[in-house]
Amino acid sequence: MKPEDILKFSLADFSYNDSSHVLKPPEDFNLWADDPRIGLAMSFFEQPLNGAPTARTRLYHRPTGQRRQMINLTSYNYLGLSTHPEVVEAAKEALETYGVGASGAAMLSGTFDQHEAFARELAQFKGRDGCMLFPSGYTGNLGAIQALMQRGDVLVIDEKCHRSVVDGVQLSGARLATFRHNDAQSLDEMLSRHQDARRMVVVEGVYSMDGDLADLPAILEVCEAHDVALYVDEAHSTLLFGENGKGVAEHFGLDGKVGVDFGTLSKSFGGIGGFICADEGIIRYMKCYASPFQFSCALPPPIVAAMRKSLEVATRDSSLRDALWKNVEHFRSNLQALNLDLGQSDSQVIPIIIGSSVEKLIQFAMEAQQRGLYLQPVDFPAVEADARRFRISVSAQLTEDDIDEACNIIEDVIAKPMGLV
Amino acid sequence: MADNEWNKEQIIEIISRNLEQNLHDIDGKAVSPTSSMRDYGANSLDIIEVVSASMRELEIRVPRSELTQVENIEELADKFLEYL
Repeated sequence: MKPEDILKFSLADFSYNDSSHVLKPPEDFNLWADDPRIGLAMSFFEQPLNGAPTARTRLYHRPTGQRRQMINLTSYNYLGLSTHPEVVEAAKEALETYGVGASGAAMLSGTFDQHEAFARELAQFKGRDGCMLFPSGYTGNLGAIQALMQRGDVLVIDEKCHRSVVDGVQLSGARLATFRHNDAQSLDEMLSRHQDARRMVVVEGVYSMDGDLADLPAILEVCEAHDVALYVDEAHSTLLFGENGKGVAEHFGLDGKVGVDFGTLSKSFGGIGGFICADEGIIRYMKCYASPFQFSCALPPPIVAAMRKSLEVATRDSSLRDALWKNVEHFRSNLQALNLDLGQSDSQVIPIIIGSSVEKLIQFAMEAQQRGLYLQPVDFPAVEADARRFRISVSAQLTEDDIDEACNIIEDVIAKPMGLV
Repeated sequence: MADNEWNKEQIIEIISRNLEQNLHDIDGKAVSPTSSMRDYGANSLDIIEVVSASMRELEIRVPRSELTQVENIEELADKFLEYL
């Protein structure tokens, strides 16, 4: 690796370790990571928050070594439920009753009355008769796909699906096939190519780096034509989309036609965990073969109690999601006025696409954070090399003043230097 | 063999052989340089493995960010040649 090439390399380049000893990273990786420019870019990772993920949060700003108060555009706390007083109170009460942890895997000693009740409530919310909980969203996708698929099968996924889906299919031994993002014709070709195998299709309700929605009507039509089940990852859409907040499937009026409905508890719900809703028969089967369900400790009871309250608060009326969508509309129109490239976003996830320059991305990130905006850079390989970006997670917690102030900073540190205004 | 002795034809052979080893059901000798690995049914994981194995054989490290616009096997070989 030549010194002048260092900025061309990324985390995508060092997963193969060519050193002779397992506990020694590749020499090239050390050379790359020790470069001050890469060090600066990596200093944006794992900056510790010193308070709750509210609209204005305090964090230790690693690039400057200072503690700062910032407008929070990065946390997934879309509805503010992580700090909602009723949710916090539910967790406190359960903490007193049940203690901190579940002290066992779900099948043996880790299932409490809270877990059973919550699974029933989630199934009812999603209009399904079965539901199972997982310790995290990642292990939910991983475990469900590992349990459903097997060697000889083909999992056909949108090319922008989450890593947990890819890891799940690798664990299952099934073959992975990808179709072009949101392209029903490409999906049709891929299903035809593998027509002799058992197949399942996976898409996301809202794509996490782009904020666009699955073209569910077109995708479902292709799935039905091939008689193949559809698995929808509603991680970024549950509690937000549809008349009742069920997700993007409900938004399109197709929630009765989805085979597997996956969700997380770490985003709109404000906690941690994953869940799968489907027919009771397949849930009963998956519980016996999904390794992360069988071999992980169950979710902590205080978290489950809090998540039950999150579900209740978010669904008893539409006030929280109404507040979110009002903020999204205000934010989006302000950003559009700055002529920024927002991609195809149609949700609360709004990218600001900068382009191919790592230097610009890091420079803008540094200036935004120094001005008090907690806006994280997203680099290749998480996104395309020519579409490096910032990703705004709009929250219902933000006030109009927060959004206006954020947009003023974005204008100064991104739009003006890019010559857009 | 010194790095700079590889020619394009040999590089295409290396890529084709690694593609065959990853996909099993194709004949590496019949691979067309103007085709994409996806044309032979390779998925994103297969492509990562074929590119990695080929780079290890050639003893080069080409940034993945430079490969995102590569459309076919011949273009991949050209990109490898730039780093030899």
